[in-house]
Amino acid sequence: MQVVIGQYIPANSWVHRLDPRTKLVGLILLIVSTFLIQELITMLSLLFVVLVLFASSKIPLKRFFRGIAPLLFLLTFTVIFQLLLNRQGELLYQRTAYLGWQQALLTLIVIVVYQLLKRVTRYRFAMFVLSLVVVFYSIQLEFAGSWLTFDIAVYQGGVVFALFLVTRIVILITLSSLLTLTTKPTDLNNGLEEVMKPLRRFKVPTNEIAMMIAIALRFIPTLLDEANKIMKAQSSRGVDFNEGTLRQKVTQIISLLIPMFIISFKRADDLANAMEARGYAPGRIRSKYVTFHMQVPDYVLLAVTIGWIPVVVLLGL
Amino acid sequence: MAITFQKVGYQYPQLQQQKWAISEIDLLIEPTKEFVAVIGHTGSGKSTLIQHMNALLTPTVGQLNVFQHEVAKGKPLSPIRKRVGMVFQFPEYQLFEETVERDIMFGPLNFGVSKDVAAAKAAEVLSVVGMDESFLSRSPFSLSGGQMRRVAIAGILAMEPDILVLDEPTVGLDPAGQEEMMKLFTSLHDDYHKTLVIVTHDMNIVAEYTKRVLVMKAGQLVFDGSPQALFTDDAALELFELGRPDMMNVLASIANAAGTSKAASVITFDQVVAYLLEQS
Repeated sequence: MQVVIGQYIPANSWVHRLDPRTKLVGLILLIVSTFLIQELITMLSLLFVVLVLFASSKIPLKRFFRGIAPLLFLLTFTVIFQLLLNRQGELLYQRTAYLGWQQALLTLIVIVVYQLLKRVTRYRFAMFVLSLVVVFYSIQLEFAGSWLTFDIAVYQGGVVFALFLVTRIVILITLSSLLTLTTKPTDLNNGLEEVMKPLRRFKVPTNEIAMMIAIALRFIPTLLDEANKIMKAQSSRGVDFNEGTLRQKVTQIISLLIPMFIISFKRADDLANAMEARGYAPGRIRSKYVTFHMQVPDYVLLAVTIGWIPVVVLLGL
Repeated sequence: MAITFQKVGYQYPQLQQQKWAISEIDLLIEPTKEFVAVIGHTGSGKSTLIQHMNALLTPTVGQLNVFQHEVAKGKPLSPIRKRVGMVFQFPEYQLFEETVERDIMFGPLNFGVSKDVAAAKAAEVLSVVGMDESFLSRSPFSLSGGQMRRVAIAGILAMEPDILVLDEPTVGLDPAGQEEMMKLFTSLHDDYHKTLVIVTHDMNIVAEYTKRVLVMKAGQLVFDGSPQALFTDDAALELFELGRPDMMNVLASIANAAGTSKAASVITFDQVVAYLLEQS
């Protein structure tokens, strides 16, 4: 059974063909630069460049949105907090808001409705925004007997900083998903080993770390398979993994975990013997079956990303 | 009827291509005194078939009833699992408790049996699988492979199922261990009148021990009859790509060497002995 781990999507684009080392170093440098950039316009330009990169990689744009989707809620809260709490720059918008039992009740109803509907609707995020808008408008209405009255004020600094943060997060997500979408896990691991090579001077066992990651990746599908088997076996013994009290849940998990530990130890033992039988010795220098070769696009990309950091820092962009 | 399959088909949902793992299965299995072998090549649908008997899989199409309970999504499955015990390949890996006794009690306790009854049951089934009471307080992980497998089977027997479904129970055991395991199943069948369903690749087991054989091929049930009828049907064996039990091959070689090519329809050791005595 062929199980694909990671999210690699095979395609033949220049991003796919890039040396994994280039991609790793480029990713790290660009991420560092998002923390050095000071002007909003620079950040937005970088986002534009990153999106062009993504589009040129022949990865369906759907995957981009799938990467962003889990973060939509986080991003919304970031924006709200920045807008309401950041009080720098010009005042853009001000309203008086009220909080009374009417608003509290409405908020409660909105939360309940949202929780009920979120399982059945596909437009979960749209519902979420709608709920926020409803609550936001309700607190601007004055009812008799409000508990407290307060000001909602949005300043220019808030808007700029909110945009800044959102752009930075979107860039981070897009870049890292671009890396994992266009690079096979094994290539990524080999690339990582090469990039870490300088650390060997400081006695970091880079070979062993890479081997560990490779083995871990290799055994994920195998262990999932085993876990599935054990779950079925315990289901036959009357365990219902879908329900149960907390106490029962603990027993259920134990009945899965202990066999999994035993199987993993046994597999590790067998694998260690097999590796030793084929002459593997930790700490030795190993030759590689896969060798990477830098091409013109690699040198160009490296030069651009390395040059980008001093440009950002020195020009204060 | 204990287990009735009517036009049952199953597709694995996670597979991209819509391939039927099993299809058009019609099958009846009695609640007592059956000894059924399920044979067929890897990927023929044996495992999928037997997992239905325990409601671990529910049919994509067709009707499946186990002890009058319908096996379908959303129906209560635990009454089925209590009456049809399932022993997987390498069942020793499902052991997890601190002592043999507690592991055997795990199944009955899950089905709501009281602690005292379950403990009494544990001692009883351990002797059924041929181990004495001194093992009760030992850790299952201190036992040998064969002993662990016995304990795992005892854990299923403790649930008092009417039907026991076993997926390749003799794999990974030495010949003596295999024979003892099969003796255990024979005694469960003869003395305790349980129905046993065994998946195996070993034609000797099919010939020597079982009373009925189901052949799976490409997801279809292509043969349902006695081992005798299967192994004496040369055309069927060729079609299903199955071998013969050793005893038949031995007898064929002897007949060949003696210059008589008379086909004998004997498949077990005892039958071969009787046949040779009769001939001499």
